[in-house]
Amino acid sequence: MAEVILRSLVKRFGSVPAVDNVSLQIPDGEFLVLLGPSGCGKSTILRLIAGLEDATSGEIVIDGDLVNFVDPTRRNLAMVFQNYALYPHMTVYKNVAFPLETAKMSRDSVKEAVSRVANMLEITEFLQRLPEQLSGGQRQRVALARAIVRQPKVFLMDEPLSNLDAKLRLQTRIELMSLHERLGITTLYVTHDQVEAMTMGQRIAVLHEGKLQQLGTPAEVYDVPANKFVATFMGAPPMNLIDGELQNNGTEWVFTREDYRLVIDKVQMNIDEDALLSSKGTVSLGVRPEDMRLASSESKGIPGVIRFLEPIGSDLFVTVDVGPHSLQVRLPPKTQVATGDRIEIEFDYLKAHIFNADEENLQLT
Amino acid sequence: MDTSKPGSNHETGHVFYGRGRSRYLFGNRIRAFFAYLVLLFFVVFAVGPVLYLISPALRDSISLFDYPPKLIPDDPTLDNFRFLFDSTRYLSWALNTIIFAAGTTIISLFTNVLAGYAFARLQFPGRNILFFLVLSTLMVPVAAVLAPTYLLVREIGELPIIGRPFFGLDTYLGLILPCTVSPLGVFMMRQFISTLPVGLYEAARIDGASEWRILFKIVLPLIKPALVVLGIFVFMITWANFLWPLVAASGDDYRVLTVGIASLKGQFVTHWGVLAAASLMTLIPVTIVFLFFQKWFVQASMAGALKQ
Repeated sequence: MAEVILRSLVKRFGSVPAVDNVSLQIPDGEFLVLLGPSGCGKSTILRLIAGLEDATSGEIVIDGDLVNFVDPTRRNLAMVFQNYALYPHMTVYKNVAFPLETAKMSRDSVKEAVSRVANMLEITEFLQRLPEQLSGGQRQRVALARAIVRQPKVFLMDEPLSNLDAKLRLQTRIELMSLHERLGITTLYVTHDQVEAMTMGQRIAVLHEGKLQQLGTPAEVYDVPANKFVATFMGAPPMNLIDGELQNNGTEWVFTREDYRLVIDKVQMNIDEDALLSSKGTVSLGVRPEDMRLASSESKGIPGVIRFLEPIGSDLFVTVDVGPHSLQVRLPPKTQVATGDRIEIEFDYLKAHIFNADEENLQLT
Repeated sequence: MDTSKPGSNHETGHVFYGRGRSRYLFGNRIRAFFAYLVLLFFVVFAVGPVLYLISPALRDSISLFDYPPKLIPDDPTLDNFRFLFDSTRYLSWALNTIIFAAGTTIISLFTNVLAGYAFARLQFPGRNILFFLVLSTLMVPVAAVLAPTYLLVREIGELPIIGRPFFGLDTYLGLILPCTVSPLGVFMMRQFISTLPVGLYEAARIDGASEWRILFKIVLPLIKPALVVLGIFVFMITWANFLWPLVAASGDDYRVLTVGIASLKGQFVTHWGVLAAASLMTLIPVTIVFLFFQKWFVQASMAGALKQ
């Protein structure tokens, strides 16, 4: 068990930076999710920590030791690969025992450790089988068993659930969380699935183009996204963005577009005067689909035309054309609307975000 | 079960009716016929000379020149074989050949695997240039390096401690070692090892395994078919090697079969029957080795096709 610290980590492949100046501090026992689209550098960070890649610059500190130049064989980490990387010619028992036998543990203690882990992950009955005779979920559990059997300092998981079907993924997700609760091993978990990130992570590090976009609890990342990228990457359907102007009419700050204006309540929306001053001009207004609703008859909302209806049972998702934009609105499932209806949309202004021309959220965290 | 339909196949669900069905089968047979015809043609070329050895091996040297020639001798004799065992050192040649071929096979498998693993998996400066150099030696004809290698082995043999009786001309190691590095073997091992998923190698490293442990516990078991193929390959080539043993082990004690058989060809008289008998017997061990490992041979060539 150990704390992991990354300081100004950079990894370039040729001239392309895959990881661009990432600093993270992962306290002992935390479950941190690295989240981002493919090619954002999240797997590279994991491989850097594991020692499978050499950092171009920056420091990796595990349990107080700088490990940049420590061979992966000596870092005492465990990694679960996306395709599990089980040794195909060894039985499940041999696979799980491999790291222990490598560490030259006595035969009896290997046996004991393997059977303990096998019990925990319920793979005892497969111990004499070969990996090819197992289902995806069983292989996954064997890979986990091999990872935890030698009580590593840190657990690295590279999209371990992505090869499982939906039902099994849900089940394994819960198993992984309870496993973490029981063992308390510092875990770095890479995924591109925001549901996995939201449900599993104690904290989430959102990455894009090699750069750390935001680090925070799932609630923080969801409720106060640091920038447009995080706002649109988290949440399905993503946050709606409406382009407009930020103006000061002498007494108050206003967001305006052709036929719509919103007075900005600095205090309630937790926005700084300085931030508003420096962001005057083109900005985007961001609102999540679930924070929008049909305007009541007396209030004035954003006018639009309904293009699609997507009833998913629990909710009704509506795509509304508003000028050049199309907005996603989540409505109660039985709302009486039809394609082509002209409607007005209003929203809870406390849940709205203003993104400046640099795509950053003005709201203070 | 419905059996009323003509030509229905209940196992596969395929149903062939009347003419369509017979035309289908007929077409298949024609195709097979021509395929076998082509195969037969090549078999005649490959096996014919070997079978033809049997006839002279079983004749005396007079009936060998009968006119008109006969394929099956009138009274077959084993005199040629008897002569080989009684009047030549055939068994000693055979033993030398086994040592030469087996030793070369074992040592070259080891060196080729090590080099192939390094080229496939390890990162070191000059890796690609080195590999290119290794491959480029394929283009150097054997005859060009024959004399330098001969001189090298002879000179090393004269050195104290590492020289004779361990190494040099007319020693087993002097005969074997120069044959144990083959660029083709290195290339083949590199190719096979690089087809293994990198994830296995990375997983093993994270599991704490050293390069040696990865090589012996992960890589070797997984490329076993390739090892067998390379082994058979090297064994057969070494078994039939003539030029190097001729210059490196010309003395009677270290003579191998190829050189021995060639020495049976006299300056004035050649016992063709004896030559045929010797050649025939020499073929037997290699054939057995091949038949024994044939299953592996097919497996290895299929391995690439079936994965992924």
